[in-house]
Amino acid sequence: MQFFHDTKIDFLSKRRLFFFASVVINIVGILVVAIKGLDYGIDFVGGTEVGVKFSGSQAVQTEQVRKAMDEAKFAGSEIKSYGKTDEFLIRLPNVAGKDYSSTAIMENLKKAFPNQTITLLKVDKIGPKVGAELRSKAFLALGLSFVMIMIYIAFRFEFLYGLGAIVALLHDAILAFVVSVMVHDLGIINLEVNQSMLAAMLTVIGFSVHDTVIIFDRIRENREKHKNMPFIDMVNLSINETLSRTINTVMTAVLVLIVITVFGGEVLQGFAFVMLIGFITGAYSSIYIASAFVAWYLETFKKYDLHVESYGSISAKAKA
Amino acid sequence: MKQGLLRKWLIITLPLIAAAVLLFPTFRASQLEKQRQELVAAKNETALAAFDKENGETLRKNKEQSLKLGLDLRGGIYVTLEADVIRLLEESAMRDAIDEVFLETLEQTRQQVESGGDDDVLPVFLKNFDAIARPKGRKLFSYYDTGDNRDLSEDAIVKRLERNINEAIDQAIEVVRQRIDKYGVAETTIQKQGTRRIVIELPGVSNEAEVRSLLQTTARLEFKLLRSNAQIVRSFFAIDQLLKNKGAQATASTNATATASTATTSAASTATASAGADSAKKDPYAGLSDEQKREKFKKDYPFTSLFVTYFNPPGEGQQPVPVIYEKNEFPEGEYSFQIPEETLQKYEEIMARPDVRRIIGNEYQVLVSAKPEPFFERQGIKLYYIYGVLAKPELTGDVISDAQATFDPTTNAPMVTMDMNADGAANWARITGANIKKRIAIVLDDRVYSAPTVQNKITGGRSQITGSSTIDEARLLEIVLKAGALKAPVKIVEERVVGPSLGEDSIRKGIISGAIAALLVVLFMILYYANAGMLADIAVMVNILLVVALLAAFGGTLTLPGIAGLILTLGMAVDTNILVFERIREELAHGRSLRAAVDEGFKRAFNAILDSNITTMITGAILYYLGTGPIRGFAVTLMIGIIITLFTGITLSKVFFELILSRGATSINLGQPASDKA
Repeated sequence: MQFFHDTKIDFLSKRRLFFFASVVINIVGILVVAIKGLDYGIDFVGGTEVGVKFSGSQAVQTEQVRKAMDEAKFAGSEIKSYGKTDEFLIRLPNVAGKDYSSTAIMENLKKAFPNQTITLLKVDKIGPKVGAELRSKAFLALGLSFVMIMIYIAFRFEFLYGLGAIVALLHDAILAFVVSVMVHDLGIINLEVNQSMLAAMLTVIGFSVHDTVIIFDRIRENREKHKNMPFIDMVNLSINETLSRTINTVMTAVLVLIVITVFGGEVLQGFAFVMLIGFITGAYSSIYIASAFVAWYLETFKKYDLHVESYGSISAKAKA
Repeated sequence: MKQGLLRKWLIITLPLIAAAVLLFPTFRASQLEKQRQELVAAKNETALAAFDKENGETLRKNKEQSLKLGLDLRGGIYVTLEADVIRLLEESAMRDAIDEVFLETLEQTRQQVESGGDDDVLPVFLKNFDAIARPKGRKLFSYYDTGDNRDLSEDAIVKRLERNINEAIDQAIEVVRQRIDKYGVAETTIQKQGTRRIVIELPGVSNEAEVRSLLQTTARLEFKLLRSNAQIVRSFFAIDQLLKNKGAQATASTNATATASTATTSAASTATASAGADSAKKDPYAGLSDEQKREKFKKDYPFTSLFVTYFNPPGEGQQPVPVIYEKNEFPEGEYSFQIPEETLQKYEEIMARPDVRRIIGNEYQVLVSAKPEPFFERQGIKLYYIYGVLAKPELTGDVISDAQATFDPTTNAPMVTMDMNADGAANWARITGANIKKRIAIVLDDRVYSAPTVQNKITGGRSQITGSSTIDEARLLEIVLKAGALKAPVKIVEERVVGPSLGEDSIRKGIISGAIAALLVVLFMILYYANAGMLADIAVMVNILLVVALLAAFGGTLTLPGIAGLILTLGMAVDTNILVFERIREELAHGRSLRAAVDEGFKRAFNAILDSNITTMITGAILYYLGTGPIRGFAVTLMIGIIITLFTGITLSKVFFELILSRGATSINLGQPASDKA
């Protein structure tokens, strides 16, 4: 079987359009997230979060749970449910001097819903300090990943290509994040900004480079082989030659991630979804961000006409 | 050629053998555990006891080496405790010296430390001290002494504070460990994290309130007079009678696991045997087999058969004599009791009964030693002492100002010195004076850590406690004694409970999605790359097996995100094969021979494979370093997955191809369209 056989798609002809559109989407996405604000998970804000499951003949409404909690004097509790109608997350903020125990919450719920069997699924209790600490560690982890990968890419490829890979990586990370935040707002999947999200984002960052590396590797090979081919054509050729690879490697990972998103259960769902988005944009960005960035840079800053100039002539000029 | 072939087969078989060896304990442990659960469910106590005797050690050893499941999968409580080091800094200062400036420094430190980060507190404190207190002419020795008047240098004080902090954490860990052991949870882990945190994992527990009271109450250090006397022994005998009369079934049903049938009770059986011999006149044991005798003895003496009782005749150099309860004659004097670990649980259960407590009475208390007797422990036998003490403490630990493990300058034996404040010293002189040649138990949280004999009246507040056989033992005693001197209360800063139903659900969903994902990937590879795809599938399956095996070998835990990492590895491991296969297809299309195409394919794809895997490795490492709990599990599986992928995707796959080539194949179906076929 072969999906792409000897393709000759002119990817780069539309590069300005796609590059521009991507930049716009990213900026709009960042703005939307900045305006709407983030829904932090319990890991990052601190507080108590109790997950309960009701099983009884009648369905329980979010309102009823809220009322029961208010009556039991658990002030400021937030009740959420994702996807399932019988499972609820009850969140209580950290209040100085107050210490909520799940045992007490369960007792009160059992009193309020005598006809229901209530199962305690999980409790996460994060002190205010630990919350702040985990949050700052998350930012540190993200920042550190960017820097380390940048250093590695710069070491393995020339600076310009390294820069292209990093721009593509930023694009993937931002898009995965923005899409996740929006899907979370729709209330279908629980995609709070928490440690799982961080892990997924870091994986996206690590994986985003995969496809870019495949194309750059081929460019490195082709520019020596076709020294006199116009640069744009050479890059196009490289992308076309590696298209099967790009699509297939992403496809196996995406297949797996779709399966986890659908069957993995609530905890893994959000985790896999973030990666799913990031991996898909990763394939796109390796063509329209990373490669396009390299071309754009050479055209804009070095004033080369890449439809005419080849790698051979460019490097000859650079040496001169 | 022959040698090359051998090498290839070794590359295929060795990892598989290694995986089998590494995963065997996991398999064996789950097998034994299943058998054991069946016995427990069937309430077959004798069979269970026999099973434990025969397989208990094997099960334990295999469990240690098997793949562990994270709390998010098996359910349980995860708690992070943090010691209040600032409070400790305040407590260790000389009380009269504390002034505004000092309190301001502390407050500043608290604000900085509380705003996040689990940084070391002492450096922050010292920095603030330099900024706030020093300009006002204060020195560290304005507030702290070193316990040694010859050296009042700042360095010495800092070192001492550092040591105090470390010891406060060690002591908190010790207390927590004791309490959790008593609470009876299997396979707990207690770990120090950073400089002032303790991470505790309690699998299978979900009662938060209970765990909390267990962890947050402060420990009590007390000195109690030892009274292992005839009255205690008579009470023990009375307990025997009580239990026997109330019917053995009551105790039997309260206890499911404790058994008294291992080598360690050999001492107890000696006592049994002699009990039988002594009362030969009207022997109730006559005509019974040894096994039956032992059974009957256990039934007749349901309590005292759990341990061995010795009478210590007065005077130097006298050998302890085993006590035979049957005689019901207990001369006045000192007794001692040794209990093997196996029967300790049953003993504690009996002692917790209200009717038993009534027999002991209010005046006395019966306590167990905190650690097994070190001499026997070195031979693999865990024996604890039981002590009768006066319930009312003579002194509590808050009078202790310092303790230090050192060596006796004359005998070079390890010992502990203990200092008391003026109040304590006066009382201590009175207590020791009245109890010369008697023993005083050092009790922390109702466990006896040492029961030294008073040699003479101790005035001046400085005591020396000898009798520790190693410096580690002395260090432990030092830490325990400091429970009085140091107050670093611990509080829960993070707590996670996973209910058992959620864990089971997670495992099920993890297995389902893993199976579906594996099926899809395998099918895709076969459909797209035909025969070569099949080789890749074999390599991927070996990959997953090796990742799990390595995880077990490194003592890693499998968490829910870890399962996701495993499934993701499945999807990413084939990437390596895809890169190679695509390249081989390309080379074939350019008209190369199969061998040349294969060689070129592996060689040329290597760079891209390495680069892409290293970037994922970088983020994995960062995630491992900065993540916590289950997320770390993800990072670990991801990283192990990458390393194994490099092996299976390059080395192993290449060996597959070479084996096929060495059989003279000139074409391999890589699933490419017919026009490209070589």
